[in-house]
Amino acid sequence: MVAAVGRWANGKARDTAYALGFFLLVIKEVVLFVRRRQVAFRVLVLQILFTGVEALGVVSLIALSIGAVIIVEGGTVLPRFGQTSLLHSILIVVITRELGPILTAFIIIARSGTAIATELGNMVVSHEVEAYISVGINPISYLVVPRVLGVTISVMALTIYFNFFGLVGSFLVAQLIQPVPFLEYFSTLLRTLQLRDIVSTVLKSFVFGVITSVVATFHGFKVGTSVTEIPRAAIKAVGQGFVLCFLADAVITLVYYL
Amino acid sequence: MEPIVTLDDVHLTLGGFEALRGVNLGFGEGKSTIIMGPSGCGKSTLLKVAAGLMPPDSGRVRFRGKDVFQMSERALLDMRKHSGFVFQDGALWENKSLFENLALPLQVHFADVPAVERSRRVVRALERAGLEDSASERPAALSGGEKKIASFVRALMTEPEVLFMDEPTLSIDHAMTERLHQIIRDLKARGRTIIAVTHDAQLTSTLADSLVVMDAGQVIASGDFDEVKRSRNPRVRAILSEVLKDIASYDTDLLQLLDGDPEPGAP
Repeated sequence: MVAAVGRWANGKARDTAYALGFFLLVIKEVVLFVRRRQVAFRVLVLQILFTGVEALGVVSLIALSIGAVIIVEGGTVLPRFGQTSLLHSILIVVITRELGPILTAFIIIARSGTAIATELGNMVVSHEVEAYISVGINPISYLVVPRVLGVTISVMALTIYFNFFGLVGSFLVAQLIQPVPFLEYFSTLLRTLQLRDIVSTVLKSFVFGVITSVVATFHGFKVGTSVTEIPRAAIKAVGQGFVLCFLADAVITLVYYL
Repeated sequence: MEPIVTLDDVHLTLGGFEALRGVNLGFGEGKSTIIMGPSGCGKSTLLKVAAGLMPPDSGRVRFRGKDVFQMSERALLDMRKHSGFVFQDGALWENKSLFENLALPLQVHFADVPAVERSRRVVRALERAGLEDSASERPAALSGGEKKIASFVRALMTEPEVLFMDEPTLSIDHAMTERLHQIIRDLKARGRTIIAVTHDAQLTSTLADSLVVMDAGQVIASGDFDEVKRSRNPRVRAILSEVLKDIASYDTDLLQLLDGDPEPGAP
């Protein structure tokens, strides 16, 4: 029993050290990315296209729905406490500080995290990664860095997009309850918006983007020789991505607002 | 003359299995070495370790005297430029067209050459391989033989001095095999160093200067081709016989095969 626990702890410590080593290697290669004369810029553009541009539809739909739900719930509950004036503040706080970054990260984990882990896992199994090494291409620099940068840039841009569409969704529903001109509605919202809200949304989206991409690439590369490991890698990329984003969200919120 | 690639007491364990156990080998410059052994004995692993694709747990791998896994980034890139690897399953990049597969090594190692000139070189290589009509195809659209040829051509794009080949003629038809034999013979004639894992007796007979016989992660015989193939070591004889068993039954057949006799068993 003790030996089994020891083996488990030893294995976990080794995995953690390996993951940290991978993360440090990625940071080093991100710093060197611009300096290198390798040919990964196209991979970066394709990653932004796949993760950012192709996710615009689903992000818009979810953001509009969330904005609509918040205005309906707030519009129903707050008047009971005589706090209708807080509706705009709650919208800003809930969407820009919390739901915008975390829901965007979840969408990207589900879409791109799984795709990245699966794609890289397949490349490992079919020896494509070794083929890159054999022609002198650093797989971290060529395969991981463009994905990390592409996903992080996309999550940050999509979070801003999500925030805007969330507020648009609230505006559309507000028109059904109590019509307000578009400019008036948004100027009231923007007056409520503080610099710390903007910093919070940018910081969180950056951290979630890094977590999503590093976890997905790590699990993709961890695939060994069998194709049966690939779906397991995708599941781990999603599971760990969710958990780490939640934890990071809690830590950032605690540090930032307490 | 010092070997171009050297392995010193190389050990490697993969998934709890000792894939390489104290391998010491030297591959002479301009020589062709064939590595033989039963399935799962560590031949492909040895080839990848020798090519610097897989780091050993202990021991050293040297290219022109320099430790491959301690090299500076620049020296490693230079080594990659001067070595090519043909994978058993082709390992073409599935998300790239055939043209892009061949162009990438040139982009990495000849970034200073104008893109038009690099494209011209790729087109010439495709034409020589008879694959010009498939240039825009993804590897999934190619036949097994075409993939193998394409993998071969990709490995040769930078005109490497050393070529590592993992079962280059496995699972391809006779015509493709003949084309590959021709290309390999041509490379040998041009003085390239060739290190190949193969069970192809005809290729071995025309190519091998040296022969390495492996068993259970260990090198049990290595040296001059004529000496090793006539080894009196019963294990070496058994392995050579086993490896070539579908075409050779007796000692004489085996020697005929390795000597290049196309019809073993014929009087």
